[in-house]
Amino acid sequence: MSIADPITTEVVRNFVISCAEDMNASLWRSAHSAIIYEGKDSAVALMDEHGNMLGQSTGVPLFIGAIDVCVRHVKDYYGDDIHEGDIFIMNDSYMQGTHLHDVTAIGPIFHKGELVGFGAARAHWNDIGAMDPGSTMSSTNIYQEGLRLGPTRIVSRGKRIREWYDHLKLNTRLEGATIGDLGAQIAAIRTGERRLGQLLGKIGAETYRAACQNIFEQARKMDREAIAAIRDGTWSREGFLDNDGVGTEPVKVKLTLTVKGEELIVDLAGTSGPVAGSVNCGASQTESLLRLAYKTMISPDRAITGGSFETMKVILPDECMFNAREPAACEWYFTGLGLLADLFISCLSEAMPERSTAAHYGDSMVVGFFSVDPKRGQWISIEPTAGGWGGRADSDGESALINLVNGGFRNIPAEVMETKFPVRLEEFSIRPDSAGPGKHRGGCGVVRRYKMLEDCYGAIWFERSKTPAWGLNGGGEGKGPEVTLSFPDGKVEDPLKMRARQLPAGTVVETRTGGGGGNGDPMQRSFAEVARDVSRGLVSRQAALSAYGVAIADDGSVDQAASVAR
Amino acid sequence: MKTSYRVSADIGGTFTDIVYQDVATGRCGATKVLSTPDNPALAVLKGIDQVLSDNGELAFFVHGTTVGLNALLTRKGSKVALVTNENFRDIYTIQGNDRGEIFSIRWNKPEPLVPLEHTYTVGGRIAADGGELEPLRLSDLDRLVAACATEAYEAIAISLLFSFTNPAHELAVRDYLAARLPDLQIVMSHKVSPEWREFERTSTTVTDAYLAPVVRRYISTLQSEMGDRLPEGGALHVMESNGGVMTAAAASETPLQTLLSGPVGGAIGGKALSAATGRGNLICVDMGGTSFDASLVIDGLPSTSNEAMLEGLPIQMSVVDIHVIGAGGGSIAWKEAGALRVGPQSAGSKPGPVCYGLGGTEPVVSDANLVLGRLDGANFSGGEMKLDRDGAASALAALGADFGMNAEEMAQGVIDIVNAKMADAIRTITIQRGIDPREFSLVAFGGAGPAQAAALAEELEISEVIIPVHPGAFSAWGMLQTDVRHDFKETLYSFWDMIEASTIETAFEGLEVKGRAFLSDEGITGDRVSFERAIDFRYYGQEYVLTIPLAAGPIDMDRIRADFDAAYERQYGHNSPENRVEMANIRLAALGRLERPENAAPERETPRPAREREVWFAGHPRTTSIIDRNSIGEGDSVRGPAIIEEVTSTTLLPPGWTARLIEGGHMSLSREDAA
Repeated sequence: MSIADPITTEVVRNFVISCAEDMNASLWRSAHSAIIYEGKDSAVALMDEHGNMLGQSTGVPLFIGAIDVCVRHVKDYYGDDIHEGDIFIMNDSYMQGTHLHDVTAIGPIFHKGELVGFGAARAHWNDIGAMDPGSTMSSTNIYQEGLRLGPTRIVSRGKRIREWYDHLKLNTRLEGATIGDLGAQIAAIRTGERRLGQLLGKIGAETYRAACQNIFEQARKMDREAIAAIRDGTWSREGFLDNDGVGTEPVKVKLTLTVKGEELIVDLAGTSGPVAGSVNCGASQTESLLRLAYKTMISPDRAITGGSFETMKVILPDECMFNAREPAACEWYFTGLGLLADLFISCLSEAMPERSTAAHYGDSMVVGFFSVDPKRGQWISIEPTAGGWGGRADSDGESALINLVNGGFRNIPAEVMETKFPVRLEEFSIRPDSAGPGKHRGGCGVVRRYKMLEDCYGAIWFERSKTPAWGLNGGGEGKGPEVTLSFPDGKVEDPLKMRARQLPAGTVVETRTGGGGGNGDPMQRSFAEVARDVSRGLVSRQAALSAYGVAIADDGSVDQAASVAR
Repeated sequence: MKTSYRVSADIGGTFTDIVYQDVATGRCGATKVLSTPDNPALAVLKGIDQVLSDNGELAFFVHGTTVGLNALLTRKGSKVALVTNENFRDIYTIQGNDRGEIFSIRWNKPEPLVPLEHTYTVGGRIAADGGELEPLRLSDLDRLVAACATEAYEAIAISLLFSFTNPAHELAVRDYLAARLPDLQIVMSHKVSPEWREFERTSTTVTDAYLAPVVRRYISTLQSEMGDRLPEGGALHVMESNGGVMTAAAASETPLQTLLSGPVGGAIGGKALSAATGRGNLICVDMGGTSFDASLVIDGLPSTSNEAMLEGLPIQMSVVDIHVIGAGGGSIAWKEAGALRVGPQSAGSKPGPVCYGLGGTEPVVSDANLVLGRLDGANFSGGEMKLDRDGAASALAALGADFGMNAEEMAQGVIDIVNAKMADAIRTITIQRGIDPREFSLVAFGGAGPAQAAALAEELEISEVIIPVHPGAFSAWGMLQTDVRHDFKETLYSFWDMIEASTIETAFEGLEVKGRAFLSDEGITGDRVSFERAIDFRYYGQEYVLTIPLAAGPIDMDRIRADFDAAYERQYGHNSPENRVEMANIRLAALGRLERPENAAPERETPRPAREREVWFAGHPRTTSIIDRNSIGEGDSVRGPAIIEEVTSTTLLPPGWTARLIEGGHMSLSREDAA
């Protein structure tokens, strides 16, 4: 066994991080679909020849964990029948987690005829042949959600396998974009292959392997030290999803977290079994979410290099919505994950009081409008909506920020929406009094009010009204989400989930997203901070008095005599 | 007879670099003086006095300033009130609602320059087509007028929806406020940035209002301090973020344009160097003691953007792309979990490297360079500072002890790590644009660039390094190489297949009228005026645009469409000529040519007596001769290892590398095995 000195090890560690960034840059640069190159709904990874993660770059934080598992599936399926120039793809929800839209491409990397690693690139394909175009909201089994692929060789020794390419083309409504995006994923893998080849040309495969072992060991050591430093104990929390997307019953999610020495154990016993709607999630992606939640608390600033997360053990019951098996539907797999993350972070907040963070508003809160007209052709305006985040041990939660499992999604400006689509944005503002009160309050949700200027269709997927963002350490809960539909004939409805439905011109859709939970006793929040929140319109004068015991006079000053003493 | 000079000043935090060019001969010289942050004019005047003897006079003066940028970074701009539409009060504080750090649950949005309590709303609304949906309710503004009695606002920023289509409401609000608050500066979004996207335009407008008083104060102070040193007519020129220059009067009108005035000089110098040497593709790296910036010149032109991000807040304006790569010389070497790391933390200039002796205890890259003999400890920054080699060596030895390495081994290791890291960062920038760095020459400047350049080039597999003339003051040199430039824009959204060429022509002509007026105010008319047109395009369904330059002459719709498809192919590796295209904005650059002499190579000087110093290469000390750059003649070649010294910088030529002079007196370093 060769050894690598600390200098070479550090050069290799920096290399794998940078190599992953180059792979992602290459993917974004050549992808055909805006959801990849603008929405950054993709992830890439460089792994060793066993599938151990070395470097990773992701546009969606949720993709942090479940790529290495794809390499293991490829190796299990193909064994030694893996050759230089091969490319494999897969999207099976039960193998890799996520929904069928997320297709992972995997390529072995050889150096002088020897397997030295794998590159992988996952990207969201807009259409994979499901029952509805785009994201179906009504699937109840996976066969309705599109083409399902286990590990599948589509390029053999550098040569495309024609029948597989044709098969893909025949199973999507967007043939050109799909094949183009696949090409971009392959380009990303080739970038990794080329960059690793350059490094190996300099230092050789033996030294590289030795450096990788050092990197794994360093990451393990850092994780063990981090977990050992926090308080031992067992904590449990539960919450409910509003429904599974097709039914009306709340869906229970329960998480128990144990810290014991250098180990952290997560057990989902008590969580609902598989559900009829599509909020089931494959085990790999469940684990991926838990890695994300772990990272936000333990190591938010650290690059993801090998060995990370080995200190976390996940126990999934056999019958569990987060351990989806055939034929459970998985299209909206991420909806339950936002709640799961909040439960995890709240439990770990007990072990790490200095990083304690209350729950956030919780889901992507998707609103879409679409139609076909002679001028624009087919048009679609679809966006997730921001909300409030949880108060922290030492500061307030942020207002109007996109949810945890997303990252880089931005709101559509009123000026862009109104110029391009027959939809007017009548209001976009902070939702007052939506934040959970606390010594450190939660962040506020937002109000977005849309008016349809022509007949069109609308669809809505909102969540977390049954378990809005809760507070910690005496902090109060944030308000849950609300939606109001006002039709031109005067009828008013308030659906949180709505499948594609016709909206006549003049219909007004107002969405109000939830706030974050508070942290600490609101009666300990200073007069000055409450007065500032009132002057900024985040907290009303009534709420200042009822939630914080602070009386604000007409001129904005604090009436100390009428307030609860601090 | 008096000698006329064109002079430029790059005013940095520590040093003010001065470059002067003899108008008759075209020859340039350079010097450095310590900056005087309280009154930057003092350093400029001292520098000018040094370079202009009694019989010298200023023919032209341009400078780059960081006054606006510093006011932004230290949050010392003016107190601003913001006026927005009713129901859209929170546009500026909500921002894009994306998360800046995707793995953090503690991330906060950038602190806005105007807090919510200083935002005022007004009823009334303009629609997307410019029509009035609701009339303006001016009485809403009385709350702001009343607040001014107690709030001490210095400026008001007005940003209303769709003002770029119909400015009537913004103008009416301005008139109402100006009549009641005559002493306040009022800035309107349709003037500052007539471009769609309300958050970005509001942020741009607020930043302009925030900086305007500061920048105006600074310019008027500098102008009066320089007094009769300024050339006839008193014109003081300021470098712009877009790489052009403008007069002080124009800078007072558009203060935002001075924001990135300092660092762009290097990129513009790169453009001039590209033209002079016939090398179209350059990676320009500016390495100071504690900073490291990179910019690209592609096919002879600096890479530019239509939006800049500062402190996380967007600003809609044309800027030359400057990529901040990392701390460079200031990066700290440290230990974590039994591993060695370098950066990203930096020692900055205070406490700075151990060798500065200002209290720094953690070894940084500059300490490693000193220990290996790559910096001259006795003659650092022109002898202004003595460096402590022993202190640096013992700090490195202490770190190395845990890894069984001595001071020199540790120093080499730190440099190897940081070079690999910087090369990785540069490579990522080029890959994002679909470029192979190996096809580029590396231009290295700044105080520390020429000492590191060859090693960096080896990492990038680049075969040629260019050390330009006056590398330590190259940004200032670049400022002498540019013309007057003003950018104008207008959001003109349409499907490309649904707009008439005449509509576009009329819109451009409207912008040209504005451009001519600006240039004429600066005394530039006739054939010195020219225009460059461009349009922002994208395929239908996309969000990002590509800015496509238009050829001169009548608008040729088919050709422009084809140019977009071709540009898309270059950027993304594929295109979709069958897809519909949307145009979003039209852009016009109004250019005013400045008279300037041809650059002449520096005069050759007699070499000083032979000198040498011990420098470590590949783990061994080697006696290395020291050569004066100005003694190298045309046709001479210098073989490494060697140290090439000049007033503003020191070039390190490793073994295996050769240096020779090329066009314009610039110096090319190449690897023998690559030739």
